[in-house]
Amino acid sequence: MPICPVCEYKSSEWYEIARHIYSLAKKSDAKHIMWLNRNLSVKEVSEEELTKSLEGFFRVRNNLSDWIRQKFIDKFYGENPHPFILAMQKPTKAVLLGYVIEHQHFLKNWVRILSTIVARTDKDDVIRYELGNIAVEYIGFNNKPSHYELLLRMGESLGMKREQILSIPPLPATRSALNTWWDIALNKGWVETMASMHSLELVADRSLVKYGAKMHYFNPKILESNEYPQEVKDFLREGYEADEGHAGEALELVDKYAEGFEDIQVSVIRSFDAFSKYLLARLERAIQIDKSVLGVLT
Amino acid sequence: MRIIVNGNEAGTKETGCALCGSTWGDYYEEIDGQRLFFCCDVCALEFKNMISEVKKRTGWDRIDELVINGNYYRGRNCIARHEGKEYKFYVKFGDEGEIQTFLD
Repeated sequence: MPICPVCEYKSSEWYEIARHIYSLAKKSDAKHIMWLNRNLSVKEVSEEELTKSLEGFFRVRNNLSDWIRQKFIDKFYGENPHPFILAMQKPTKAVLLGYVIEHQHFLKNWVRILSTIVARTDKDDVIRYELGNIAVEYIGFNNKPSHYELLLRMGESLGMKREQILSIPPLPATRSALNTWWDIALNKGWVETMASMHSLELVADRSLVKYGAKMHYFNPKILESNEYPQEVKDFLREGYEADEGHAGEALELVDKYAEGFEDIQVSVIRSFDAFSKYLLARLERAIQIDKSVLGVLT
Repeated sequence: MRIIVNGNEAGTKETGCALCGSTWGDYYEEIDGQRLFFCCDVCALEFKNMISEVKKRTGWDRIDELVINGNYYRGRNCIARHEGKEYKFYVKFGDEGEIQTFLD
């Protein structure tokens, strides 16, 4: 059902949604205008054109997971890849430390949010999937350390003590992103939460290049390079290999259990916004460590 | 003050918001004696915060030209000019229009 992506006003027609957004934009409503600027166009168009743009934006051609994958590529791997991904093509020590410091908060919240999915679903395949993911990310699985542990080891290999890493609070942008994900988890259904969270694992999905991504999450040559400590390569390799399967399997479950698309699409776009903000926070942290990282943003 | 946003003149409804270049909205504020168009009050607040920070750091009483490149996601790389002098900076705003990061 057509839905306003900002205030979630619903109507049977996209034209009504366009009229609603248009009238609020005329009144300079910041939230609606921000959504238009970030997702459709910074150039004002007529109600008719806005209707077509909204229909096009939300149109699901095959299945929802394809729509999610394409929007992810457009936002993070399209003509202007996210600056953190650009920085990861040849990451400096500061970039990797920025990654460690902010990502510890992301990972801890990640498993807490996934647990809300487990708590609210009665689907066996979903429960099994989420508990498996929680184990891999936070507890460790098949005698392998968790991604959280590998992240901390990466930080230590770069010269920062574990206690120091754990003592640093998240930057405001990371905190804001975490709040967005908590808001989705606490106020939306488990399928929406699942789509909003696991779509983020697409960031390390190597198959995105097949669908139009301009580059990988990081230059895979890093994994064979002698320029980086083994712990850095161990962390990147684990995420690289695991997230490909994670995101694909989770999105198949989303396709299986989704009842209607638009509510999920709105939450996914919110989640992507938060993720973009969060990835930039990793760079902001890196800039605090080494100001030359600012070059990535100029 | 001449304002260039992502390569295009800005600051009127026709040219776009003085901060982000958007032509949506209909919000105006007078800044340094000039009536400027903004798409929303958040952009206006961000712009005012940015101008005030530049003046504080440079000691200038006004800015003749401001070149802004970037967006909400990446933050903005800017050049302010005044009487032949130039000041380069990077600024990123928080959710409430406050300056979250300012580097020169």
